[in-house]
Amino acid sequence: MEPRYVIGIDLGTTNSALSYVENRPGADPFALPKVELLGIPQLVNPSEMRDENLLPSFLYIPGATDFPAGSIALPWDPQPETVVGRLAQKRGIENAGRLVSSAKSWLSHGGVDRTAPILPFRAPEGVPKYSPVEASRRYLDHLRHAWDSQMPDAPFTQQHVLVTVPASFDAVARDLTLKAAEQAGYQNITLLEEPQAAFYAWIERHPDWRERVTVGDLILVVDIGGGTTDFTLIAVTEQSGELSLERVAVGEHILLGGDNIDLALARLVADQLAQQGTKIDNFQLQALWNNCRTAKEKLLEPGNKKDEAPVTILGKGTGVVGGSIKAKLQRADLERLLSDGFLPAVSSNDMPARQRRAGLQELGLPYAADAAMTRHLARFLRQQASTAEHGGVRRGPSGLACPTHILFNGGVLNAGLIRERILGVLNSWLAEESLPPVQQLSGEDLMHAVSRGAAYYGLARRGRGVRIRGGVPRTYYVAIESAMPSVPGFATPLKALTVVAFGMEEGTDLRIPNREFGLVVGEPAEFRFFTSAVRKNDQPGDLIEDFGDDLEELAPMEVDLPAEQNTADVVPVSFETVVTETGMLQLWCVARDGRRWKLEFNVRERVAA
Amino acid sequence: MSRIPLAFRAFFAILFQGILSDKLKRDLGLAPSPVRPAAPAAPPPPNPAHALQLLAILQRDSRLVDFLMEDIASFDDDQIGAAVRSLHDQARDSLARYLSLQPVIDGVEGAYTRPATADPAAVKFIGNVPATKPEGGTLRHKGWRAAKVELPALNAKQDATIIAPAEIEIE
Repeated sequence: MEPRYVIGIDLGTTNSALSYVENRPGADPFALPKVELLGIPQLVNPSEMRDENLLPSFLYIPGATDFPAGSIALPWDPQPETVVGRLAQKRGIENAGRLVSSAKSWLSHGGVDRTAPILPFRAPEGVPKYSPVEASRRYLDHLRHAWDSQMPDAPFTQQHVLVTVPASFDAVARDLTLKAAEQAGYQNITLLEEPQAAFYAWIERHPDWRERVTVGDLILVVDIGGGTTDFTLIAVTEQSGELSLERVAVGEHILLGGDNIDLALARLVADQLAQQGTKIDNFQLQALWNNCRTAKEKLLEPGNKKDEAPVTILGKGTGVVGGSIKAKLQRADLERLLSDGFLPAVSSNDMPARQRRAGLQELGLPYAADAAMTRHLARFLRQQASTAEHGGVRRGPSGLACPTHILFNGGVLNAGLIRERILGVLNSWLAEESLPPVQQLSGEDLMHAVSRGAAYYGLARRGRGVRIRGGVPRTYYVAIESAMPSVPGFATPLKALTVVAFGMEEGTDLRIPNREFGLVVGEPAEFRFFTSAVRKNDQPGDLIEDFGDDLEELAPMEVDLPAEQNTADVVPVSFETVVTETGMLQLWCVARDGRRWKLEFNVRERVAA
Repeated sequence: MSRIPLAFRAFFAILFQGILSDKLKRDLGLAPSPVRPAAPAAPPPPNPAHALQLLAILQRDSRLVDFLMEDIASFDDDQIGAAVRSLHDQARDSLARYLSLQPVIDGVEGAYTRPATADPAAVKFIGNVPATKPEGGTLRHKGWRAAKVELPALNAKQDATIIAPAEIEIE
């Protein structure tokens, strides 16, 4: 049955949103589809439900003393185990030990078992914990109920649902996101990359987009959210006489965003207070963090010429005036922090400080080691240069990928000053390559563009509107251990067999030639699994030896051949790669007689090892 | 004495009691109004829980009760100003969220105005008021009307007299 609506869900690190559009198969293909935002009912205070445009991605695990009896009941659940949304976020400030935040960043963190109950990460003993997958499931579950309560005539499970993920999410994180959605009762799910969704939102707003870009153009999407920064390049190409769009590069997962800027400001103000002899505690720092965000937004508003904005911390006790701490955020400090810390004017050869890759993964999230977003951007554009020709990437003489257009997304980029700084740095690189400055594609509604674009894309998949071709944004490898004796203190040298080439398209499959493995029946076989966003020219079946730092290890893949009668103990198999219509990557072992076994990610094993 | 607490006291006196106490009138420098027209049919008695609920909301979101109850005589204007600035923003946000406040007469203060109603609860004539009902006069104060009240449902199990819970920090 044709779904009545297409639903786009932006499952964000700090905020989630839901947009929808009516699917009318007979509609005029040139008529503008009307994408709408769903007000998401949620608890904003105990006993108080309200519809808000965003669902803060926070999970609070209430204890006996947290909320009055019955005050966290939801219309669809009289006794929920956890609180999701605005109230969770509010209460979490007062009691951080029971708050799960940034579950999405944990979902993409390979150093931990993402299906094990590990969050809240610093919960005191006795507080129940949830896995990153389970926390995401709860956000998605809330959104499903929110839809059903707002749209009783069109049950959620009968609609087509698109869930967005960062372009930098690897196959494991995508798989886990899909699992979370399935466990939340979603059917008919398609995953979509966020920067692409943001670009679709731009197309949705500009029906004349074909007149705004031409063949050969390269569009850089810069997406800076609360906790993450994501870069994507989309090339404008031509296919059978029509303009077509191709996503040609995605960046690495960078845990750096607007929250880092606000916290840095709060620390700066706290330092200034300390110099005046006023010490503030952790709780007050939280309040200051919030106030600095508001003050930053005020100072960065267009037309605001004030030199400072107040960031008063109100007294904790009943003495609200007497106990309040007066502080100010200076414009000069804010501008210095942006220009020296987060958005320095660097050269296009300036690379960010390398992430520490210690043998023992440090606990907690792997935040970016370098706070300079412009350096991460330089590396992203340089990385594209270090690979051989890939269709449609426009380059300068030095080999730097040189975008013609830029599209901003994410709440941080509402601030004109931040956009201008990025434009300024990028244009200085382009000038060095003797190229004209980049043109800005005017984004609107930077907080909701991703979910809007996702809904639009859902329609595009159904034949209305344009589709960005992309395929798999990375190359994937399975490790083959060299036949060499192991030497103590040295890892056995690895060879990597290319199993998925960059750009492999949705809805295709491929047998890896020339490689057979003997799989032992009745016991699990494990393959180490690697990926690279940099090596784009390896073809399926290529065996790579000296890959240096180019490859990143993911969770291993596992396959278990059940023991059957009348079969040999060892079955020779070869690999087959499948990219499903919905963009999910699958690896299969195929025996000579055609029997097939699917490889599953094993996120547990690696932590135990 | 600072004008802000006084304004709040007057606001709440009107909101909850519908009348200013004699003391408040003296503080406000208002002469007692000459004749109070007899009240029409008595309105239903207000549910005190709702009044307390609004107070609790304003305290929760903006610390308003803390502010009104605090003795601010000893603080300098700078200190009070810093606290009030943030308190004021939040109190205003909450008021806007739960009550939709509109002027009784949507006119320009200082301009000649003919009121559409003579209901003394909605329009008050001041100054040289003639013996018969005047046609109009200079609009001095637009008045306020709660066009919509959208308070969250009360939790019957909860003690409405608690305006703010005590807070105990575990260090």
